Amino acid sequence: MSIERKFQIAAYVLFIAVIFAAPVFGDEFWLNRISKYLVYGMLGVAIALTWGYAGILNLGQGLFFGLGAYMLAMSLKLSSPTSLQQGSDKPVPDFMLWNAEPGAPTQLCCINKGSFLWLPFQSQSVGLVLGIVLPVVIAGALGMLVFRKRISGVFVSIITLALVLLVRLIMVDAQPVTNGFNGLTDLGWLTIGGIEFDPYSRATYYLCAVCLSLTLIGARLIVETRAGMILQAIRDDQVRARYLGFDVSLYQVFFFVISAGIAGVAGMLYVIVAEFASPTFMDLSFSVTMVVWAAVGGRSSLLGACIGAILINMIEAEVSETEALVEAWKAIIGLIFVLVVLFMPRGLGGLAHDVLRQFIRRLRPGSVSSSLQQQSGAL
Amino acid sequence: MSAIALTIDGLSVDFGGFRAVNNVSITVFDGELRVLLGANGAGKTTLMDLVSGKTHSTQGKVFVYDTEITNWPEHRIARAGIGRKFQVPSVFRDLTVRQNLEVANCRNPSVLANLRFGFSRAEARRVDDVLALIGLEAEHNMMAAYLSHGQTQWLELGMLIVQDPKVVLLDEPTAGMTQAETRKTAEIINNLKGRHTILVVEHDMGFVREIAERITVLHLGEVLAEGSVEDIERNPKVREAYLGTKGIS
Ligand SMILES: Nc1ncnc2c1ncn2[C@@H]1O[C@H](COP(=O)(O)OP(=O)(O)O)[C@@H](O)[C@H]1O
Ligand SMILES: [Mg+2]
Repeated sequence: MSIERKFQIAAYVLFIAVIFAAPVFGDEFWLNRISKYLVYGMLGVAIALTWGYAGILNLGQGLFFGLGAYMLAMSLKLSSPTSLQQGSDKPVPDFMLWNAEPGAPTQLCCINKGSFLWLPFQSQSVGLVLGIVLPVVIAGALGMLVFRKRISGVFVSIITLALVLLVRLIMVDAQPVTNGFNGLTDLGWLTIGGIEFDPYSRATYYLCAVCLSLTLIGARLIVETRAGMILQAIRDDQVRARYLGFDVSLYQVFFFVISAGIAGVAGMLYVIVAEFASPTFMDLSFSVTMVVWAAVGGRSSLLGACIGAILINMIEAEVSETEALVEAWKAIIGLIFVLVVLFMPRGLGGLAHDVLRQFIRRLRPGSVSSSLQQQSGAL
Repeated sequence: MSAIALTIDGLSVDFGGFRAVNNVSITVFDGELRVLLGANGAGKTTLMDLVSGKTHSTQGKVFVYDTEITNWPEHRIARAGIGRKFQVPSVFRDLTVRQNLEVANCRNPSVLANLRFGFSRAEARRVDDVLALIGLEAEHNMMAAYLSHGQTQWLELGMLIVQDPKVVLLDEPTAGMTQAETRKTAEIINNLKGRHTILVVEHDMGFVREIAERITVLHLGEVLAEGSVEDIERNPKVREAYLGTKGIS
């Protein structure tokens, strides 16, 4: 095993150790905030997987995040003790009740035209399963359509961008079913096997930490399979890959779907931690923000993109404490993005990699022949 | 007589009224090395595009042995046994030299079959052998983007050798190479001879004399002549067609 490889593994181990040790360092409010950042870290990984490894810049990742979020939020809404119709054995979400036509039956099946869609969500497992299945199915269908037609580059970005805006519009428009702009608030807690995931508990924090760790390790392993290598080959030269006999679109769809699945799970976790789902998840700005995290962290580095997401959000939280800086922050992050794209295209992950290389060279002169020319396998 | 490996039968393509390839028929026998000669714009690259599925033909048929592959999608043509080297060398720039060959070494092209790690000892040996053949052993861990032009060409040839297609299409494999590089390329191609059926586009007559058995001359999208090196060099039609360009030198 090369020294670099050892450092790589060490970086993953260290990162995972740190996030598991974090609860020692702060109170439950701090922990709740960090949980959100871990979720953002998952989004960073999802973006890096498609952008860095497949060359697919998805500007609508918020779609999969949002779908995952809404699926679980519907289930949690129906298990909220405070927000449901009082004194009924068939609970109906409060907003449906407030907006019900006079004389409409106060039943989930038929209080309005679309409310029956909520029926399956009375079981939390349905919300949990759909939170990953729906993003995956939609990503699969979209991928088949787009990649079979050999649409690539900026056109994929534009299509994903248009789609997330379209779905956002529908979600807002379907007010009777989705509560429109207001989203789903006042949710109950997720309960799995007797454990209640109180958003301010360590259990919830560890749930996020475990999911992020599994995502990181899983994504890392899968890009190291032959399929992961072929995917990178496709990113570099689709035509060449086709002439080696690979059905390029299948590889693209496969990894696009994995990325969507990660985003779906992230959406569900976010709902557990933040206790709401909102159409803002599908705002264009949120999807673009994810791309910025990944760019700053290093798009071709899974761990880098993850840390980028977490770091930027921690800094943002610090900055927001100072009132004068709140507005300036948007300009600052925009500037950072431009600078990174111009001068550090491989982001923090690439920087860490180069520093490590220098370090190894000092340590053992001659062990790394010529630094630039070797594989730039990022962390 | 041995089997016919590649049959091109009356192939044509129409680019909005302009026939870049017009009713071309060529048969290449199993194990043969055929050189495709012709001035710039004669339609050599386009013919390879048609055979390998990059461009759809408007008329005619293509067979690999007994399988008709006319206008199949590229990856299926590749799986049917046609490998191709491009005029502009194309390799996976952000992968190492070794990884480039490994990608070509994944025999089963499906995604699920490739959800596994590493390569067997036999597969690794195969990559080692090809690295030695193309002379890139020292560079095996280098990113392909940093190879010289000649080395990139050899890497692409190496990928073809690992892929091991029945029929190999080579589009100007020595373009832009120094004399020394050209000689080494001739060596690599001579090494392929016999094991693969090869169709190669080449301008350099010195190189052609070194490798060729039979030559097919394309001119303005049509087959002008076919024969041995001597036949072609003596052929008055070919001389005339090359008049005004630089001529066969
Ligand atoms: N896609 C295309 N559309 C229109 N014309 C084309 C296209 N591809 C090639 N051609 C034309 O076909 C002719 C043959 O080109 P090409 O096959 O590249 O020649 P060669 O490889 O023999 O130099 C040229 O005149 C070229 O301009
Ligand atoms: Mg050409």
